[in-house]
Amino acid sequence: MPTSSTTSAAWRRAEARLVAWFATQGRRPAPFQRAAWRAWRDGQNGLIHAPTGTGKTLAAVGGPLIDAALRPQTGLQLLWITPLRSLATDTAQHLSAAVDAMELPWRVLRRTGDSGSAERAKLRRGACELLVTTPESLALLLSYPDGRERFARLRGIVVDEWHELIGNKRGTLLQLGLARLRHWLPELRTWGLSATLGNLDEALHALAGDGVLIGGGAAKKTLIETALPEAGERFPWAGHLGLSQLPRVLDAVLGARSSLVFANTRSQAELWHEALSSVWPESPPTLALHHGSIDPKLRFATEEGLRVGALRCVVATSSLDLGVDFSSVERVVQIGSPKSVARLLQRAGRSGHQPGMPSRILCVPTHLLELAEIAAARHALETGHLEPRRPMRGCLDVLAQHLLTMALGGGFDADDAYREITSSLAYAQLPRERFDAVLFYLQTGGSALASYPEYQKLVRTGDRYHVDSGRIARMHRLSIGTITSDGTLAVRYMKGARLGTVEESFVSRLRPGDRFLFAGRHLELVRVRDMTAYVRAAPNRRGGVPRWMGGRMPLSGELSDELRDTLAGGGTGSAEMRALRPLLAVQENHSSIPEPGDTLCERTRTREGDYLFVFPFAGRLAHEGLAAVLAYRLARLQPGDYGYAVNDYGLTITAARMPVLDAETMRRLLHPWGLRADIRASVNLSELARRQFREIARVAGLVFNGYPAQGKTLRQLQASSGLLFDVLRRHDPDHPLLWQAEREVLDQQLDYSRLRACLLRVARSRVLWHETKRLSPLAFPLWVERLRGGIAMDDWKSRVERMLASLEAGADE
Amino acid sequence: MTHDMAIAGERVTLHAQRALFWPARRMLMVADVHFGKGAVFRRAGIAVPSGDTEDDIERLDGLIATFSPDTLMVLGDLVHGDATERSAWVARVRAWRARHPAIDIQLIAGNHDRHFDVASLGIAVRPQRLRVAPFVLAHHPERHDAGYTLAGHVHPGATVRDGWRKHRLPAFVFDRDVGTLPAFGTLTGLHDVKPEPGRRIVVATPAGLVPLR
Repeated sequence: MPTSSTTSAAWRRAEARLVAWFATQGRRPAPFQRAAWRAWRDGQNGLIHAPTGTGKTLAAVGGPLIDAALRPQTGLQLLWITPLRSLATDTAQHLSAAVDAMELPWRVLRRTGDSGSAERAKLRRGACELLVTTPESLALLLSYPDGRERFARLRGIVVDEWHELIGNKRGTLLQLGLARLRHWLPELRTWGLSATLGNLDEALHALAGDGVLIGGGAAKKTLIETALPEAGERFPWAGHLGLSQLPRVLDAVLGARSSLVFANTRSQAELWHEALSSVWPESPPTLALHHGSIDPKLRFATEEGLRVGALRCVVATSSLDLGVDFSSVERVVQIGSPKSVARLLQRAGRSGHQPGMPSRILCVPTHLLELAEIAAARHALETGHLEPRRPMRGCLDVLAQHLLTMALGGGFDADDAYREITSSLAYAQLPRERFDAVLFYLQTGGSALASYPEYQKLVRTGDRYHVDSGRIARMHRLSIGTITSDGTLAVRYMKGARLGTVEESFVSRLRPGDRFLFAGRHLELVRVRDMTAYVRAAPNRRGGVPRWMGGRMPLSGELSDELRDTLAGGGTGSAEMRALRPLLAVQENHSSIPEPGDTLCERTRTREGDYLFVFPFAGRLAHEGLAAVLAYRLARLQPGDYGYAVNDYGLTITAARMPVLDAETMRRLLHPWGLRADIRASVNLSELARRQFREIARVAGLVFNGYPAQGKTLRQLQASSGLLFDVLRRHDPDHPLLWQAEREVLDQQLDYSRLRACLLRVARSRVLWHETKRLSPLAFPLWVERLRGGIAMDDWKSRVERMLASLEAGADE
Repeated sequence: MTHDMAIAGERVTLHAQRALFWPARRMLMVADVHFGKGAVFRRAGIAVPSGDTEDDIERLDGLIATFSPDTLMVLGDLVHGDATERSAWVARVRAWRARHPAIDIQLIAGNHDRHFDVASLGIAVRPQRLRVAPFVLAHHPERHDAGYTLAGHVHPGATVRDGWRKHRLPAFVFDRDVGTLPAFGTLTGLHDVKPEPGRRIVVATPAGLVPLR
């Protein structure tokens, strides 16, 4: 960009205006802010990483504003991408203030899925210089034929909270969008804002190719406190609610002006909100609930309440992990283990915004072993052992979606598109065959559908691909985005107010008149119609709490490593570990506590069955893969039907009849040799790929959620992704999306690289083998886990025989 | 693959391919075939592979070969949606009909059948219910005074425990006055049916039938 035409004296004069504005607020630009402005001036890309509340926004927007003051222009100049729709409003206000300070005639608009039609219409007329939007809305803008024109004057893009996007498919979608814009505008500058990550270089690379890393803000001190069980207090060995700690949490909350209570799942947040309400001594409206399934309007109201200090306490999930700062928040409570060091740091950082104040977080264990996780997390934080967030590579479902977007946004040539797409890190290693396979799928639906006249998404005319059908265009625009809700129903009062969304599977179990807890309210289902569950207020709750898919977060690799060391250290050191000492004594008594370099295996026969426990401490994901492999290997040793369950510490396998096992056999069963083949065989046999396919099918446009407010007429189009998966497997086993499903299972769901590292470690370790009479404290939480899946070396014939036999046995009793 | 039982005093044979045979009348019954469902999806831009119609026709041929019925009675929803001139499944179904000239094929019109002129396939369309004592053949599983109702429409299914696993399978459900057949079509979902006193449930697996108690 024309740095040559921007004399540095002129730049300094314009910069002075910004500095003067800082001064009116009694502030001075921090060195990292100035560094970012200058880097922008020099035409560089970059990534700014600093804790929240240190002025990252102004660091990023300063350069573009000074630039604009020097070279005024109308039309869209700067695109500001934010991961959360709820952030858009606040960010737009914040940015407007800076725009006003520079006396720029800029119009600042936001466009998100929540935008009203007035805003959208204004935008369609092209009437803004700064647009605040989400990755999905950007993709939508790119899907219109005038996309290129609309962005013709764009000088730069800032991606806010890049750490929230980098590791998921939304980040992949954004990378593709950025590649599109850079292809049109080679001079475009790309900047990102991020919290501290374990892999900042990679984060910069994924966002901008190359550029500068700018770190800023003084490191804020973080204090981690723990609600320790008192001497003699009975504390559960397993569980994930932790409601027995209610009095301690209430004390902590009432001791501060305003608090955030973080739960790890939405159901847990609902239950904690209900529990706190039942003992809340103050006026009820001062306690609120915030999670991703609650209607945006209600969420905004809660955020507004926090901002103006009207709320004493908000129970939240990761929906409040990021976003604007609430200066009134003095206290943060974490229910259960935070499961990742970075998350703990981020949540703690939501408190103590006054300069010089440390961030404080109170961790509330929901069962005893979580004490060790908290101690491990503190140690990891002290030693700066933070998790990386790896960008996803080569997602074919997102690629399919993006290709359709490109086709709608003016059409494309296959060779050009391949070059453009492989210029992004996410697809840098995408083989041409795979690209062509996706293209072929979009054209024909895959080999099973080849030349089927009724199915054509992409049409090829000469060298260019485009979309012919208005219906396909409409459907695509409606389903753009990678994070879409899975068969959700709106929850709405009979009088009309919307409360949010719940999953269809939950509502389908309810009958009219049944009661449930949602959005912090007791509700009674009146009827379900047109994808909406109509409810009315109920005096109390008899029924359940919705469960949302997505489930529990796995323990991060960094925290797993710390935990292994912390446990091996035994009951020494921190207060948490001292409190854990009695439990560790029981473990030592029944079995043993693994030293670093030990792999503990236990076998227990209970009335319910025969259980094998293995404790690699490698996190839920790797354990799931390991459990499948181990069950598969056991089934090869002795044919049978093996079910498994996992948690963050280990896995259990259960069968009607286990083979003879000892330390030596376990060593052989856990050997890394042949892992890849075995995992493929076991994954093929299990439901994992089928489950993973749900999201892929949605992202790639294989299933369609329906037009808004038109659910009824499309009833005959409802197909479950599971059904599609089965049919594709039979008729089109080479379909690129099946390949994607298997790869996602390996990479993400089973964390293959970590699984392999784990088995290599086991191979070098000493195997401790214990046959225990009773479940050990480590085994107990696994025993109460629900079975996740299993390996069955049988066919339908033997299943039928077994079912008939067991039904007969049941009848004889 | 088969299971014999008495319904309303008549002996009938259930088949694991989700069909019911009534020997006294040499009548084969299936419900909810949903021909052309895949095509409806594909036309809407949803990539369901073709092959569903062939599979269903193949299974029908297998049942015809097994039972040699005089009549094939479809208890509603033979087709899923409307068709266009280019819909390949229509030609396939017509050819299939032509291969069995000796069989009287009838359809009790279901809610989906209004989308398509089934008579044009050479299949006789009956009104909403048909009395063939002691049964009333219908699409909707409703009680009738005229006899024991045999119907479809709901795509019944049941969950069976098998060790640590559960299988969700299509099922025949026989209540006191109404019996419901599982959906015959490949691309059909399931509606869960719970065991109740007086209710007989027989689940269909690819390898045989399992009567629940």
